[in-house]
Amino acid sequence: MIERWALISGLMGDLETYELIQKDLKNTRGDITLFVLGDVVGPDKNCDALLNRLINPHRDDLKPNCIYGWWEEQLLAELGYRGERKSDALRLNKGDDAVIALINAVDPYYLGWISSLQFGFVELDCGLIHGSSKDVGDILTMQTPPLTLLDRITRLNVNRLFTARSKQQFHLELTDAVVDSKIKDLNEERNQEHTLPKRAVIGIGAGANYTLYDVGSDKTHFLTVSDVTKSRGLGFA
Amino acid sequence: MKHAVISCLHANLSAVEAVLGDIDRQGIETITCLGDLVGYGPQPNEVVELIRDREIETCQGCWDEDIIDGLDACDCSYPSQLAERRGHIAHQWTTEKLTYGNKQFLASLPTSIRRGRSFFVHGSPNSQHEYLLPDMDAFAALERVEMSGADTLFCGHTHFPYVRELGNGSIRVNIKNASDREREVKEMTLPIRRIVNVGSVGEPRHGGVNATYVIYDDINSDVEIREVAYDIDRTCKAIIDAGLPHVFAWRLSNGFEFAELAEDASHVCER
Repeated sequence: MIERWALISGLMGDLETYELIQKDLKNTRGDITLFVLGDVVGPDKNCDALLNRLINPHRDDLKPNCIYGWWEEQLLAELGYRGERKSDALRLNKGDDAVIALINAVDPYYLGWISSLQFGFVELDCGLIHGSSKDVGDILTMQTPPLTLLDRITRLNVNRLFTARSKQQFHLELTDAVVDSKIKDLNEERNQEHTLPKRAVIGIGAGANYTLYDVGSDKTHFLTVSDVTKSRGLGFA
Repeated sequence: MKHAVISCLHANLSAVEAVLGDIDRQGIETITCLGDLVGYGPQPNEVVELIRDREIETCQGCWDEDIIDGLDACDCSYPSQLAERRGHIAHQWTTEKLTYGNKQFLASLPTSIRRGRSFFVHGSPNSQHEYLLPDMDAFAALERVEMSGADTLFCGHTHFPYVRELGNGSIRVNIKNASDREREVKEMTLPIRRIVNVGSVGEPRHGGVNATYVIYDDINSDVEIREVAYDIDRTCKAIIDAGLPHVFAWRLSNGFEFAELAEDASHVCER
């Protein structure tokens, strides 16, 4: 059976979209593992129902494997789970009202679970992270300089990095990388040509836009839950 | 014009005096210091005051930062608990000995200095604790220089002096976007950049006992790594007299690093 990963992020309390994705995945062929790359909470709606569903999946749900995202980081920082740091990034960008709205959107009952979430997963030779290996808030896009992308991949010692923070869907491959290095120290001078195997950064999208990844063939499929018909047409049904 | 760049003085007055003497004899007036004025060595106040008196432009090193802010490096910076204990002893001793005025001076230091197309840091543009070792991944090394917005990145921290030139680089970028139909292929040339690690004045780790620093000529871009002999016995005696761990004197007199080098040098402490 084909091994596939379903990668979602940015639900921000939207249980309805999560249910649509679960329904979509039930109609998709393959042995599917579901990864939720953060931002399950947000300030715009109450997130308790979605959190409850993630913690207590329905019997026929794909079990979600969750990590924390930028919004969870802001919530945890503001509520003292990150030492002396507060949600300065959120406060700076969206003001005090957004901080208050975020706190009000999550019942304190769920904070223990949120604080237990990991920064990311390493599966096979792939890193699955909300932002990047540098920071949960790091935004990687198709326009990010290749050297920056390589650095973020290298830090995790993986070949592929799945990221969600940009909300964009893309599959960017870095190939044929080469650079000459000349090192001189007190003892010697040496030249070396450095090359890299193919590396990739995959933006998985957010909300209704999610990504299916075929582990065996290294193929990505960018889907939208409203596109059930389209996805069936691609052969997933 | 020629510039001298020094780093990692580590409270070794004898070594600092010898290096400054070598610089003076060559008529070089511009000196930049990349931090770690204190730590491990027995003369922290004397070294800080010498740098202040000479008005040497200096950026803050990891030891300077730790003395001000409390221990910033986590256990992972040390390869063993023994090495960590010795590091903590040196930290505590230095904290007690350093005057308030000299602590204030260390606290006032910037974390980087930019001069034209050159950028000066203690560890890397990422962190004062990151080691840019000569054999680190070439693409990551190039990224560190690129993120500084400079052509040449001057750093210390490793205590191992080297010059690394990175050039003739290229990469191909293939992009598939969400529509699944639009694909873009870009061939990109990577920039030519250079890392100059100036080594250490006060605690060399290059296999010899001499202090090291570099002279940089901004007209022809030449970099010379200089070795300077100094009165090691004087420093070693002062280490013993101060009650600091004897291994600090032993490794200075033998000319190699012992046990204090992190095994995972690429690790950046997040604490």
